[in-house]
Amino acid sequence: MAEEKKTSLSGLTEQEAKEFHSIFVSSFLGFTAIAVVAHILVWAWRPWL
Amino acid sequence: MYRIWQIFDPRRTLIALFAFLFTLAILIHFILLSTAKYNWLEGATAAPAAAQQMAPLPAGK
Repeated sequence: MAEEKKTSLSGLTEQEAKEFHSIFVSSFLGFTAIAVVAHILVWAWRPWL
Repeated sequence: MYRIWQIFDPRRTLIALFAFLFTLAILIHFILLSTAKYNWLEGATAAPAAAQQMAPLPAGK
C-alpha cells in the first residue's frame, strides 16, 4: 500500500509529469507561434473582417 | 498544472490531441478551398467572378 501511494492514475511520478509538462508547454507555444504567423500572413493576403 | 499528466496518460493524450488537431486542420483547409475568396489553388480569378454574380440586374429589368 505504501508503494501504491507513489504511482498516480497515469503511472507518472511527479518528476516525470514535470518533465513532460515542460516539453508539452514549449511545443504548444511553438505551435501557437506558427499559427499566429500563418494567420498574420493570411490577413495580409486577404483580410476577413 | 503539470499534475494533469499524473491523471491523464501522456501517450493517449498526445495521440488524441494530434488526431483532433489533424482532423480540424483538414476540415478548415477544405472549407477554405471550397470558398472563392480563400481558395489558394484556383487563384485570384475566382474572387472577382463571385463579385460579378452580385451585380445588379441588367438594364431594362
